[in-house]
Amino acid sequence: MSQVFHEIEKKIITALKNNPQQTPEKLEKSTNLSPDQIRRGIEWLKLKELAIVIESQSITISLGKNGLDSFYNGLPERRLLNLLKNESKKFKVLQNELGSIFGPAMGIARKNNWIDTSEDEIFLKNYPSEIPGEKTLKQIGENKILKNIIDKNDLFAIFKRPDFILENIIKNKEISLTEIAKSIEITTESTNAINVESKVPDVFVARTHPLKDTIDEIREIFVTLGFTEIIGSMTQPSFWNFDALFTPQDHPARELQDTFYLDGFSTKKIGTLDQIKKISESHKKNWRYSWNIDEAKKTVLRTHTTCVTIKHLAENKLDEARVFSLGRVFRNEKVSYKHLVEFNQIEGIVVGKNANLRNLMGIQREFYKRIGITKIKFWPTFFPYTEPSLQTMVYNDKLGKWIELFGMGVFRQEVTKPLGITKPVLAWGGGIERIAMLKYGLDDVREFYNNNLNWLRNTTKCQ
Amino acid sequence: MPVVELSYSRLQKLIGKVSKKQITESLPFLGLDIESDNEDLVRVEYSPNRPDYCTDFGIALGLQGLFGIKTGAIKLNIKKTNDYIIRVEPSVTKIRPFVTGIIAKNGRIDDDIIKQLMALQEDLHLGIGRKRKKSSIGIHDLDKMSFPLTYTTTKRTHKFTPLNLEKELTISEILENTDVGRNYGKILGNSDIVPLILDSKKQTISFPPIINSAITTVTTNTRNLFVEVTGISKDDAENMLSVVATILQTAGFVLVSAKILGVKNTSPKFELKKISINSNLINEILGSNLSNSQIILSLKKSRLDAVLKGKNIICSIPSYRFDIFGLMDLVEEVALGYGIQNFEPILSPSQTLGQSNTTSIKIKSLSLIMIGLGYTEALNSSLTSKRVLYDMTNRQSTDMISVLDSKSQEHTILRDSILPELLENLSRNIHASYPQKLFETGIVFSKGNPINEITNFAGISSHQDASFTEIKSILQSTLKIGFNLEIETKTSSHPTFEEGRTASILHHGKIIGIIGEINTKTIENYKIRVPVVGFEIYLSDLIID
Repeated sequence: MSQVFHEIEKKIITALKNNPQQTPEKLEKSTNLSPDQIRRGIEWLKLKELAIVIESQSITISLGKNGLDSFYNGLPERRLLNLLKNESKKFKVLQNELGSIFGPAMGIARKNNWIDTSEDEIFLKNYPSEIPGEKTLKQIGENKILKNIIDKNDLFAIFKRPDFILENIIKNKEISLTEIAKSIEITTESTNAINVESKVPDVFVARTHPLKDTIDEIREIFVTLGFTEIIGSMTQPSFWNFDALFTPQDHPARELQDTFYLDGFSTKKIGTLDQIKKISESHKKNWRYSWNIDEAKKTVLRTHTTCVTIKHLAENKLDEARVFSLGRVFRNEKVSYKHLVEFNQIEGIVVGKNANLRNLMGIQREFYKRIGITKIKFWPTFFPYTEPSLQTMVYNDKLGKWIELFGMGVFRQEVTKPLGITKPVLAWGGGIERIAMLKYGLDDVREFYNNNLNWLRNTTKCQ
Repeated sequence: MPVVELSYSRLQKLIGKVSKKQITESLPFLGLDIESDNEDLVRVEYSPNRPDYCTDFGIALGLQGLFGIKTGAIKLNIKKTNDYIIRVEPSVTKIRPFVTGIIAKNGRIDDDIIKQLMALQEDLHLGIGRKRKKSSIGIHDLDKMSFPLTYTTTKRTHKFTPLNLEKELTISEILENTDVGRNYGKILGNSDIVPLILDSKKQTISFPPIINSAITTVTTNTRNLFVEVTGISKDDAENMLSVVATILQTAGFVLVSAKILGVKNTSPKFELKKISINSNLINEILGSNLSNSQIILSLKKSRLDAVLKGKNIICSIPSYRFDIFGLMDLVEEVALGYGIQNFEPILSPSQTLGQSNTTSIKIKSLSLIMIGLGYTEALNSSLTSKRVLYDMTNRQSTDMISVLDSKSQEHTILRDSILPELLENLSRNIHASYPQKLFETGIVFSKGNPINEITNFAGISSHQDASFTEIKSILQSTLKIGFNLEIETKTSSHPTFEEGRTASILHHGKIIGIIGEINTKTIENYKIRVPVVGFEIYLSDLIID
């Protein structure tokens, strides 16, 4: 199957086959096409690597008004010297004789020590046989010549003088065919075929947000691992975000500089009387301070989704459950390439048969396997509300190092007992942006929330 | 998390015969994350609940246990004498009632040790001391003072030369003109009197919890130390002291007791806390099958003492391990002593069937319809700014919900609408090709107690021919195909939308949102050069429960 060409392309190829190297102007004549058609045709052929365009530029010089005058009548200084050849002359006489060129002529003659002056008279001292610039002036005047074959020093003598030399830059284009093009057979029959090999414009695919894709993928994995999704509020009384999770009221994590408190919002109903009583007692006994209910009522933007799962447990007293919560959490931090004030977290719990540390590790390992991470290990760590506590370290080939991902542990009895939860509860969770960054190869987490259309439109969906 | 810099060669001297590689590999299993590792120096992050790990002495004790070089609890060998007495005067009761202390003799103090002691002190102040409020510590050169000491109070006109200064200042001047005074002075409130420790010659030794006196400054020439802790909780003060005592003994000092006399105060006993635990609980939580002797060995490797008594294991916990509250902490100590790496993960079949939340499912369906209609999903913050939410869109900000002390100007107000952020997105994309069509679903907030959180859905379309008809068609078809909902539109007005091209969206006569062409003022505010149409509806109570 032969390639399909536009009529313009056909005409240009045919013309170049007959006469292998032509300027666009020549092509216009040989093809009877307009300059614009020739320009487009050449562009197309160039893209298909069928035409070669050699661009060159040359400079020609010619004489300007003063240059021409000097060519016909001699350089001003030559004319001055000629007038002095036989006798010295008065200033005024020479001025009348030479007019406007008197000044420049005098300047050059004096500088070269060809003349001498007394009070009002000028004498000849030397009569040079050749004055710089005369040779060039003659060459140019007799014929247009290329700049680069001229005696440069001689040209320089008159180049800077006003209106002596004019420079013209001429751009040349020569079009020829590539070897492949030379062997192309041009058929003159017209056809319906179009160029199916040519490039076409991109269209933009409407799409779900890449971070949402990761969130959905993670949700799907935990659902298939037997977990049920629950949703909770983003605004929470400190009671559920901190107190219920054994974080004492004077703990640094509760300070304004780490947590967002809502201005002037104190939650009226924070829990049952029994919950409040037992939690405050646990704090007083274990942390030795006077627990204050007003502190527990202060509304915060949740710093983790654990407040949602613990509340669910306290309200439902489950014996057998796998539950997770997925959503936005907040930290009062400076925004940077690795920190956001608001990000997504997943948090899950397991209650019941087999709720033990090795199973917790097993669930994590299975989760990582399903998102394509197989090199993992577990290290001990510390969280205020779980004991024992572990963190997963995953190996990232691209970065060549171990990265900390989800944290996990068993809820402390100081957390579960006051809420009437009698069975051991496994808990795990972590940030989703971190996983999405690894997935999409981003090194700036802010990209997820920039809504930059160029990025959204061009990021590969499945990676 | 705090970070401490360790030297491998120092650690090796302290631990005994171990290689550098063994240390590197074991640090994480003490719960210490290696931040950087460079020849002899390794920087590790430690948990704030383990202040003993902010010195290499404490970390060496932990590693000795893991390696099995030395196991079991660290016993404090305290020489009992009556030479060091601290008398407590009743006036302190109302201001900072408790003091405790210990003497540490014949140690070698180099720059490294001074640095580590200072770090330890800071750590204790921040953690268990709650920024010095609950308890605070002072370390002094013993040979620069004479016993007995008096823990008393004084007026704010009292003068002495504080640490690191060369001239005498009054208490008031210290509180007003020094960094520590300004940072911690509020602990003392407006009280006329402040706590003070004086020696037998009436020299000021310390002004707790603010600053020590210059006289007792610890230098590399110091051989003998006096450590005092004051506070509002006796237990916390003794716990704090026990960390320092343990570290100083490990650093080669000989401990000598101090005797505390006075109201409510007693000499520190550094008693071991005893907790009884059953192996069944340990194995149930860990999913393991460890024998009693394996458990006892593991606890000892975690530097605790344990003996079997009947069916239970009695565990003795030194007082510096105040991070141990109860049974679950001991389970963790067993796991660490046994080695986390020795627990093989298992995956037991799930006893429950999983399910996505119906809200998530419905939002997903909605998203897929919008994608089909050529709309791209945007994702914006719930916490944004007054500028985006109200100023740029000409909306009233009277009911806005703000957060306190945000570190970021762009994140101060909780959104009550999604549309303003979508407009902001368009304004940042004016160089990308058109048409631009975006949608977002997410939570918006409004005042209430508790705060109302409802799910909204907004869409926006921007191109030369964008029109009311286009956007109404989009919303109408989405709700019809997705959820079999019929909507109507009724003429309305809105500060962000063009007068005469704005409508309320109604479902069964109830207003569920707003739709229309964005007005010129808003578009100009955002320097968008192309017409924009959009809508926003509440999904809560419409398709979401």
